[in-house]
Amino acid sequence: MDKKYVSIFLIIAFMIFPLCVSAAKGVPKQDEVQLCLMCHQDTGLTKKLENKERLSLYIDGNQFMASVHRKVKCTGCHNDISMDAHPRVKTINSKREYSAQMYRKCRICHTDQQLSKNPLHSQLMARASCAECHGSHYVKGVKADKVAVQENIYCISCHRNQLVLTMKNGESLSLYIDQSMVGNSVHGKLKCTECHTGFSKTVHPVKSFNSKRDYSILTADACRKCHAEASKQFENSVHLSLLKTGNLKAPTCTDCHGAHSVASAKKDKTIGVTSCNKCHAEMKPSYEMSVHGKAFLKGKAEAPSCSSCHNAHNIESTTLTTKIKDGCLKCHKDAAKAHNKWLKNPPIALPTFAKAHFDVVSCAACHSPDAQRRIYLTLYNQKTKKPLPEEELAELLTTEPGKLKEGFDPNKDGKVDGQDLLKVFAGLFKKGVSTTFMGTMDVSNSVESHMIAPKAEAVKNCDNCHIPGTEFYNNVFVAVKKSDGKPTLIPAEKDTVRSVFSIVPVRKFYAIGGSSIELWDILFIIALVGGIAVPIGHISLRIIFSPIRSLRRMGKGGKK
Amino acid sequence: MKRIFLHPLPIRIWHWVNLAAFIILILTGAQIKMGDRLHLFSFETAVDLHSWLGFILIANYFIWLVYYLVTGNIKIYIPPLHKPIEFAKKALNQAKFYGFGIMVGDENPHHSTFENKFNPMQQVSYLAIMVLLIPLQLITGLLLWDPHLFSPVVNLIGGIQIADLIHILLWIFFSAFMIVHFYLATLGHTPMAHIIAMFKGYEELHEEHGHGEEHADSGEHGHGH
Repeated sequence: MDKKYVSIFLIIAFMIFPLCVSAAKGVPKQDEVQLCLMCHQDTGLTKKLENKERLSLYIDGNQFMASVHRKVKCTGCHNDISMDAHPRVKTINSKREYSAQMYRKCRICHTDQQLSKNPLHSQLMARASCAECHGSHYVKGVKADKVAVQENIYCISCHRNQLVLTMKNGESLSLYIDQSMVGNSVHGKLKCTECHTGFSKTVHPVKSFNSKRDYSILTADACRKCHAEASKQFENSVHLSLLKTGNLKAPTCTDCHGAHSVASAKKDKTIGVTSCNKCHAEMKPSYEMSVHGKAFLKGKAEAPSCSSCHNAHNIESTTLTTKIKDGCLKCHKDAAKAHNKWLKNPPIALPTFAKAHFDVVSCAACHSPDAQRRIYLTLYNQKTKKPLPEEELAELLTTEPGKLKEGFDPNKDGKVDGQDLLKVFAGLFKKGVSTTFMGTMDVSNSVESHMIAPKAEAVKNCDNCHIPGTEFYNNVFVAVKKSDGKPTLIPAEKDTVRSVFSIVPVRKFYAIGGSSIELWDILFIIALVGGIAVPIGHISLRIIFSPIRSLRRMGKGGKK
Repeated sequence: MKRIFLHPLPIRIWHWVNLAAFIILILTGAQIKMGDRLHLFSFETAVDLHSWLGFILIANYFIWLVYYLVTGNIKIYIPPLHKPIEFAKKALNQAKFYGFGIMVGDENPHHSTFENKFNPMQQVSYLAIMVLLIPLQLITGLLLWDPHLFSPVVNLIGGIQIADLIHILLWIFFSAFMIVHFYLATLGHTPMAHIIAMFKGYEELHEEHGHGEEHADSGEHGHGH
């Protein structure tokens, strides 16, 4: 039934339309709009383009009448539409092509000179059609827009287009903003200019940057305004140290958090893994295989991501610090108690006893059972209680950064051993720098440090650390921190920590039994032999002298 | 047979506990330190024994200290520093006796009494051992027992390796000392005389000795000085 009415309506409409158009030939302009709207106010009116796109031909009459172009009327722009022939079949290939065609129509009234007055505008004109920013039928006028439109909408009116900023090095930065992406981000309620300072509805300077990287480093300042604490933490991170040394791969805020699609790191824990994996992909398999990674992938709420242990912002190089342990202890709060169940220290193992182990041994050294194990000796400045950076150390050792092995081998025998450590210590002491080599027992690389196994598989054996000659003592390295936070590792001779020369320079590193000084074993044996030699010698002399004793007794008239 | 009272009961207990603890501590210490060469005990057993006996030794030290401080008898350890020349002469005589006199049958220049138990050489060495070396061994042992707990002290002396250095050198000294000490203990008028005295408290006097009779067999409280 309904279809019947629609058919009848269409037949009547087609019959009436030519009459209307012919009547319009002499229609005064003010009525022209009404005439066009007779058909174009139909929301369903569309045109199928050659590329199968559908172009809506609907016009909201009220909005059009409120636009600045209401006086221009329809044919002011659509001047190719002839009342005689409309609706003639006009071939339009695509929406894009059509909007480019219509762009020329703007030039009828808006001269090049006027449009190029603002240099930014002239740049934009090369990239986007007029309608992409200003709209087509409901153009409000820029002055009106600036007042009436909400700032974000004003910005997006241009930036919803595929705008591109060309950097000095030729790179292209897309200035396109996905409005829904910003809206859904944690910054959805912020104004654009809260981050993009220096811009407003009335001010839009033309800026130029050396490279995309330069741009993202500079824009990190915007984050600092609100995220002061995180920014402060970032200042102490290995990432910022890397940036400062000119490493352009080092991340800044947006590399992890994204620019406009910033997710809440509190709600979205995956950011603590996915953003890290962008650069640290080599850690991914070992983490995912670990007891932590498996729990994380299962979606367990308490499972740690990278940032749970390494911190999100104040990330440090972990080779030279036991600070990473704080990351472990954040969750494993009763670690000391748990370890004291098997770490024996009669008559009572206090929590401090477990901590004495934690001070020196990394968690991974036992909890990553398949890892290779090493001792790292790091030269600390006693005053600052911080590791001496490579650059400073190279200067003190009168060598160059990168040639530190020579600096740590003052006796030039091609090996770094206890004697060398003592000479380095003495040399620095003479220069007024009091140092100490702090030792840590750790795994051989960062991949291994992530292979944390379930508790039952952890190494629970005192002998690994407390018997001389085990893996740890055969793999000793001097570790020096570069200013970018990464360590330089200099292999030292095995048992370097067991040398009598190491006692003073390595006076704060000690694993009972394991690091025992070899020379004292020899001295102990000499003392025993000497101790036994005294009675043997004395008895021998007494035996030799026994005739004299007998004679003297006889002389005294002894009893026998 | 004359007897002289030398060693009161607390000191006898202290001495023999000390002996047992020292022997086990020296052996377990060797095991802990030389785990790659020595296989008397496992590392864990060695640490267990060493720690228990370390604390027993600390307690035992206080038996000695309290006894001698309370009775005031600590003075037997103090060399007569107001008569240094006389003391030095006596010490030299004693050294001469052990180095030569004993070979040719000289009489021991020192005659032990309850109130003058030690010859000058013993007096100096025991004073050093009891007042300096054993406390140092006990303290450094405590530092090594829980370095984190005692970290302020550990840092004060420079580092845990310094505590270990002192502990190990004293371990070496005590090991040699014990052997010599045992040998010297056999140099009484009979090889077992001093040793038996350390069990019984009384030392039986050689009949040739006229000396010491006045103190003889007068019981713990009965001696005349």
